[in-house]
Amino acid sequence: MSQRQLAMVMDLNKCIGCQTCTVACKTQWTNRNGREYMYWNNVETYPGMGYPKKWMESGGGFDAAGDLQPGVVPNIQSDYGVPWDYNFEGLAKGEQLKPHVNPTWGPNWDEDEGAGNFPSDNYFFYIPRICNHCTNPGCLSACPRDAIFKRDQDGVVLVDLDRCQGYRYCIAGCPYKKIYFNPKISKSEKCILCFPRIEQGLPPACAQQCVGRIRFVGFLDDEEGQVYKLVKKYKVALPLRSDYGTVPNVYYVPPTEAPPKFDAHGKIIEGSTRVPMEELEKLFGKEVHEAAKTLKSEMKKRKETGISELMDMLIAYSHDDMFRLDNQYYANFAKSKGLTPPKAIDERYISGKFTPKMKFFAAVKS
Amino acid sequence: MKKIANLALALGVLSVGSLMADASIKAYKAENLSTITLDAKAWQSAKEQSIIFYPQTTIEMNDIDVVKLNAENKAKKVSIKSLSDGENIAFLLKWQDGTKSVQESDSSTSYGDGFAVQFPITLDKLPYIGMGSEGRGVVVHLQKATGKTYEPNGNQDVFHQVNASNQNVYEADAKKYKDEVAKIGNTDYQRVYLAEGFRSMTQIRDSSENAMMEMKYDKGFWSGMIVRKLKSENLDLSLGHFPIAFALWDGEKKNRDGMKLLSSWVEVKVEGKGGKSLIALEELSGDAKNGEKVMLENCAACHQYKEVKTAPNFMAPNLSNIGGYSNSSYLLESIVDPSAVVVPGYNTTAHPNFPWYSVDDKGIRSSTMPSFSHLDEKSLTDLVAYLKTLKVEVQK
Repeated sequence: MSQRQLAMVMDLNKCIGCQTCTVACKTQWTNRNGREYMYWNNVETYPGMGYPKKWMESGGGFDAAGDLQPGVVPNIQSDYGVPWDYNFEGLAKGEQLKPHVNPTWGPNWDEDEGAGNFPSDNYFFYIPRICNHCTNPGCLSACPRDAIFKRDQDGVVLVDLDRCQGYRYCIAGCPYKKIYFNPKISKSEKCILCFPRIEQGLPPACAQQCVGRIRFVGFLDDEEGQVYKLVKKYKVALPLRSDYGTVPNVYYVPPTEAPPKFDAHGKIIEGSTRVPMEELEKLFGKEVHEAAKTLKSEMKKRKETGISELMDMLIAYSHDDMFRLDNQYYANFAKSKGLTPPKAIDERYISGKFTPKMKFFAAVKS
Repeated sequence: MKKIANLALALGVLSVGSLMADASIKAYKAENLSTITLDAKAWQSAKEQSIIFYPQTTIEMNDIDVVKLNAENKAKKVSIKSLSDGENIAFLLKWQDGTKSVQESDSSTSYGDGFAVQFPITLDKLPYIGMGSEGRGVVVHLQKATGKTYEPNGNQDVFHQVNASNQNVYEADAKKYKDEVAKIGNTDYQRVYLAEGFRSMTQIRDSSENAMMEMKYDKGFWSGMIVRKLKSENLDLSLGHFPIAFALWDGEKKNRDGMKLLSSWVEVKVEGKGGKSLIALEELSGDAKNGEKVMLENCAACHQYKEVKTAPNFMAPNLSNIGGYSNSSYLLESIVDPSAVVVPGYNTTAHPNFPWYSVDDKGIRSSTMPSFSHLDEKSLTDLVAYLKTLKVEVQK
């Protein structure tokens, strides 16, 4: 366990599946050098196969006794999908435009298929997924080389590429299949929670670029932070598949605000909801019922009185409240290790438990 | 003091019923080895000697496919030739492998065939066979059959890390760009490591432990060659007698890391250099039948072996092939002084109910296993004799 834990909250009621986060991550980290097929951030449709294909049935994680469970290593061709390219050059010569491989699978291949019958009760929602930077990481437990470590200062889980020998047991051990094998360098790579950005006052690329502003970033012990409030105070943000036993640190506000179902005549069935609670319980555990209740009652309260801290947070008024990166904490940590802390290049998101809010911005806001 | 007494006991027992080592390799005299190749004529002057490699079953890997593919693994006979010119030592391994497996640079599920050679840094006490142990380090040379592999940072060359389709180049220029990228990759995946226990393995990147390695596949057989100096920064094998251990991986069965076949420590005798046989490699003789009884009474509560599976999973090293890849002196030492060599085993968080060792304030590891030095000498030798029988049969 690390000294502190940086966490992310994603509000699934607001995710529109636009993949802007995916693209932000890809252009920042995974468009080159053997990482082309990887999506450190992906957005998948639920119900669906997910990415990589059937990741929820691919093993890894821990059982109730705390024993690491065996898993499988997905295949690039059939489970992740090969990033294909087109013969644009051939167009000038009159060739037909076609992909250079025959694509059979890819991230979000079953986009928007969902489940149920159209139009009466069909439904789906999106789940954006990054590495959960677990408190008890399956990948770390599976590594025979001790090449994976959890950063003490913020709990970010990283691969030491110098120690990694490309054995891929980490991939089998991760129940979320969020660590990938780079075949070009024969080593494992994964989401790094954009730590080089965070250390300089910038939120992870996926969070900053999110057009629906569904992502909150902050330390779990920062009681002033919105992450703390959503996870610990209101308990409306829940970990995904916590039954895997890895104690994930990405939390989701469950998609409880779905449209109602229609009856045989196309009329609205009052009080019904399209997303079955059993499905949400599968993903987020029994706590989802309490979270749904809180969300509903706060929504009502806001409608009636105009006041609800929770609803105000979920409206996501301002990035500098949603991201609290505690820059002073990072700076002090670096100094305690005899290092020179990097200078913050963006001072909008640097507040936190150890970082008093800057006067300049307080003045501008009021 | 207790530790010393135990070791004295161990050596005392050894002197009672010791035998010659199981197997040894003679390094035949040769001229200048610095330019030898896998196909060189010089190899004809060395006689073939065979060593049996056994499947590693001490710990179970957490990959479902690997467990399934390797469940029925048998031991493999590998023919080994050795040459020495007094300054260098060379080994040529030849083993049967029906499929040539190469780790491809566009696949997440392909694994390469490969082999490794392990040299001990200390000669008086055997390092743990699985990449050494604290205070008893090893140098390991590895070669794997791979397609092109690249350095993680592309040797600082960011330009050539970019995907060809993201470069502003077309047709002839695109081909030229791809050729340039290909040139940066290495085809021979050769590595040398320093290790004191298998979690501590660290790659040596300077030239202090250089070796020439070569692998070739021909008509169902792999040949692997390694040539290196007898004396280097970490090793001194120049006395003429030293232990060596080998391992091989079958890519077809998704072998990598601990999922492999390995030999026990085998003695190498360099022709023309005197030197004495190594005490640590002498074998014991005992009554294996009685040993089986001693084993059931004393060991089966924690260790699984063969059909005996009364112990919970992950509680202690599985001993099903321990006789194949362990030497008597190591077995005896581990019984009377379990903390002399602490097997790191699984990550401490992987099976938290069964830690194999504890660490004190000074970072010193103590094995969870209690000492069995209270057993009488006969029981100990018989137990070691039985442990030596624990191994799978050799593949025909």
